[in-house]
Amino acid sequence: MNETQQITQMLRDWGGGNREALEGLMPLVYDELHRQAANFLRRERSDHTLQATALINETYLKLIDQRDVNWESRTHFFAIAASMMRRILVDYARTKNREKRGGGAIKLTLNEDALVSKERSIDLMALDQALTRLEKHDEQQARIVELRYFSGLTLEETAAALKVSRTTVVNDWAMAKAWLHRELTR
Amino acid sequence: MADESWNKAKRIFADAIKIAPAKRLPFLDEACGNDAETRREVESLLNSFDDAGSFMEQPAAHEVADVIQQNKALEAGKRFGHYEIVRQIGAGGMGEVYLAKDTRLERPVAVKILNERFSHNESNLERFVKEAKAASSLNHPNILVIHEIGLSDEANYIVSEFIEGDTLRDVISETSLKLPEILDIAVQIANALAAAHTAKIVHRDIKPENIIVRPDGFVKILDFGLAKLIEQKPIGFEASTVKHNETAKGVILGTVNYMSPEQAKGEKVDARTDVFSFGVLLYEMIGGRTPFEGDSMSETFANLINSEPPPLARFASEVPEELQRIVSKSLRKKKDERYQTMKDLLGDLKDLRENLAFGERLERSHSPDNKNATAVLQATTGDVNQPTNETNSIFTGKIKRSNPLAALAALLLVAIIGLGYYFWSAQKTASNTTEKKSLAVLPFVNASQDPGAEYLSDGVTESIINNLSQLSNLRVMSRNSAFRFKNNQADTRNIAAQLGVETLVTGDIKQLGDKLIINVRLIDASDDSQIWGNQYIKNSADVIAAQYEIAQAVARNLRLKLSTTEQQQIAKRPTENAEAYQLYLRGRFHVFRLTLPEIQQGISYFQQAINLDPNYALAYAGLSDAYRSLALGSELLPTEFLPKAQTAANKAIELDDALSEAHTTLGATLFWQWNWNESENQFKRALELNPNEANVHIFYAHLLSNTGRHAEALAEIKRARELDPLFPFAGALEGQFLLHAGQPDEALDRLRKTFELAPNFWMPHLFAASVYSQKGLFEEAVAEARKARELSPTQTVSVANESYVLAKLGKKAEARTLLNELLKLSETRFVPPVHLAVIYNGLGETDKAFEWLEKGYEQRDPKMAFLKVDPKWNNLRSEPRFVELLQRLRLS
Repeated sequence: MNETQQITQMLRDWGGGNREALEGLMPLVYDELHRQAANFLRRERSDHTLQATALINETYLKLIDQRDVNWESRTHFFAIAASMMRRILVDYARTKNREKRGGGAIKLTLNEDALVSKERSIDLMALDQALTRLEKHDEQQARIVELRYFSGLTLEETAAALKVSRTTVVNDWAMAKAWLHRELTR
Repeated sequence: MADESWNKAKRIFADAIKIAPAKRLPFLDEACGNDAETRREVESLLNSFDDAGSFMEQPAAHEVADVIQQNKALEAGKRFGHYEIVRQIGAGGMGEVYLAKDTRLERPVAVKILNERFSHNESNLERFVKEAKAASSLNHPNILVIHEIGLSDEANYIVSEFIEGDTLRDVISETSLKLPEILDIAVQIANALAAAHTAKIVHRDIKPENIIVRPDGFVKILDFGLAKLIEQKPIGFEASTVKHNETAKGVILGTVNYMSPEQAKGEKVDARTDVFSFGVLLYEMIGGRTPFEGDSMSETFANLINSEPPPLARFASEVPEELQRIVSKSLRKKKDERYQTMKDLLGDLKDLRENLAFGERLERSHSPDNKNATAVLQATTGDVNQPTNETNSIFTGKIKRSNPLAALAALLLVAIIGLGYYFWSAQKTASNTTEKKSLAVLPFVNASQDPGAEYLSDGVTESIINNLSQLSNLRVMSRNSAFRFKNNQADTRNIAAQLGVETLVTGDIKQLGDKLIINVRLIDASDDSQIWGNQYIKNSADVIAAQYEIAQAVARNLRLKLSTTEQQQIAKRPTENAEAYQLYLRGRFHVFRLTLPEIQQGISYFQQAINLDPNYALAYAGLSDAYRSLALGSELLPTEFLPKAQTAANKAIELDDALSEAHTTLGATLFWQWNWNESENQFKRALELNPNEANVHIFYAHLLSNTGRHAEALAEIKRARELDPLFPFAGALEGQFLLHAGQPDEALDRLRKTFELAPNFWMPHLFAASVYSQKGLFEEAVAEARKARELSPTQTVSVANESYVLAKLGKKAEARTLLNELLKLSETRFVPPVHLAVIYNGLGETDKAFEWLEKGYEQRDPKMAFLKVDPKWNNLRSEPRFVELLQRLRLS
């Protein structure tokens, strides 16, 4: 069995309730996402917007044996990938913070683009912690944030991945946003 | 918050956000009733929602995009253990590869950082380490030497020797390999594999990506033992899944193209799997495609298991039968039917090579004009898309029709590479590392039969000088001084002493067919020993790459510490178009001869170079230099050619603002157009870019002297002379500048030294005449002026000068004869009006002198640039007309 097939199998096992399969799957997905992220940025050097959907899709296509996969597996995969993306991006944010403190390569700059568009930069580490708190109240909202915010999925994609209605995603997303915003501005 | 109240708040919130903020209060009153807690919570969330604005609208990646960018590769200068990253040189499935500097041993190394994926399993890693060590300990010249394997929490990495070269993949796809080259590469690979197999090490992943071909044709095999890591099973899977291998499409990062059937099936592999993969490689080098290639991976897989490869004759004609036999014996599906050892295979390859070379020699000696004699040597890979029934004449090719030299070249190549004609002498550390090292690149010898190839040997020399002179901790003798030793037989110590350098680079270039064979030696002048030597065999088209490789190798072997910018500068290629580059070199070669027809010839070459590469900044700079030379030759109208020079210079800068030559030529062009300030800016910029270029210092000194900044001028020209001690032009100008500065005795001293340096150079005599005349020693002045004119009879400046001093001596009739000559000449062509003005001034005809000065102003005579400082005008300095003229020239 090659790796693609093994990953597909693991997804299926996990879908079938085997938690250990998830353990095996995570590092592989993580690695691949990580590499895809780097590749992605290498290709689109000037464009800072990471098109995470495309990224996860590419990872998915790369890792999963397409002949032997059903919608179920795909949904599972997106869920894992989304939580992995959250971890990866928060790790990056941690690196960024560390470098800032250490007076390393990254300067504490006011991003001029950000000033123009009146965007505030978000402390991903704080957001991550808040999200973990939100998870205790509402796991679905937390998943939606992972899919929407950390993985860049559209409302429709998110709805499909969680097998809920679009309206549910709209409502939950709005509340999660409000809740997290409040946590971060306290 | 309890689940129930959360859900209640959630419902109310969902409804409330659909209502305009102003109308929400009544809704909340109703929805929450007297549940104050829920009401507070929902209101607070609604406020937060309204405030949120663009919060979380951009995907999270946006926040860290800069870090991801940065992390994608280690940055230059980053330390990794005692390795300092220089730049990334590759990225593959297994990890990223960097060129790094080993700061302890001061040598370049390659650092491969393994992806986490391959580092998960410790026992696997250990096995890999063991194997890599074993392969490395073979100490085989064709196997990449691994220096260190680092296993740390941070990363796992492999440090190996750094090989400059292309992967065999690049070589196959970019060039058509000829049969002798194929055999040469094959023999080297087989040699290495045979040695590894003897030591019980199997490579397992022989493919073109794992083979590096150095520019000199030397082959190195990479990644011994790494294949095992790739095959590692993902975590969580045990051996029980192995059965599935029967349907495998190949390991995830690999390609099935080079696998043996047993490997693809997941069976046990041994050394014979390398024999098979090697057979695939050989097939591909000859036929231009792999033997089992299908439209999809599964088709390839099926072909590999079930089908025989198409006969090579389908893709390449005149493949020696013996070679076809060797390939097909390597590609037997059953391993028992293959070559059982790499050694056997190697033996057959060597025999074949020898027989071919022998047959070739034999045929050539019997019938030197027999065109078929070259046939077998002219192998090129075929176009696989050609209809198969119409065999391409691949192994004959176009050379069949002509050029027995090319065949000889190919033969020589085999002999040269085959003999391992590659000399690394023990690398000596050149003396003191902290002191600035000094080096002269002596003109490469044109070892070709064709004297017309001299432009190439000169050009390559010059380019190497230019590349190296950009390094701040190396003092490189300029072209002008170094070229005095062209064809000079003096011993190297003598030459080094005259140039005042510690080390010399010598070399020769031979053009054989479409190959260039460049030999280079780096010599320690103190004991005449060789520090480093190498032979580069290149396609003519790769001459640009060759010279920058040479420059880099020299820098490396001098143990120079290069900054990142310098690394980039030294690797900078002026053009990617080899033909354009050759035309540029031809242009330079002709312009340096400084006669009107030669310069015009040079201009035509530069223009052809630009036609081929419109972005070739250096060619524009060369063109600018050439136009300026025409303008200053005092024969053609300066107003016609200086603007052309300026346009070309501007274009060069537009194309590459970091090109020192471009700013130099613009500065010089502006100087002769009396634009002193802008000229100075350009020289300053040029010096910033390349502080070691003597030419810039000379030009800048000229500007400083002519505008009356004598102390600065003398410092600059001194610097130029240090950089270029044997360049008589610098010495002559220094004499002139000393005269301008009011130091005639020092001037004479310097000029006399320049006489010794270059007895036949007219310029120092011309200036000496001026010095004597200023001192009132007119007899001596006349003698020097005559000497200058004898040495350079066509220069109008010599005529004018002699006429002037004759007039001062009182020999007015003789002076007038020369004056009339010039006047007559001026009727048919341009004669700088200043020259005539000088004579009239000598004769005491002041009005006439002013008349011609006015003409000089009108005609933008470049030589007006001397008016402020030339002592010949001292008698007129208080004249209002003169004062006013200097004002117009912005020289007062």
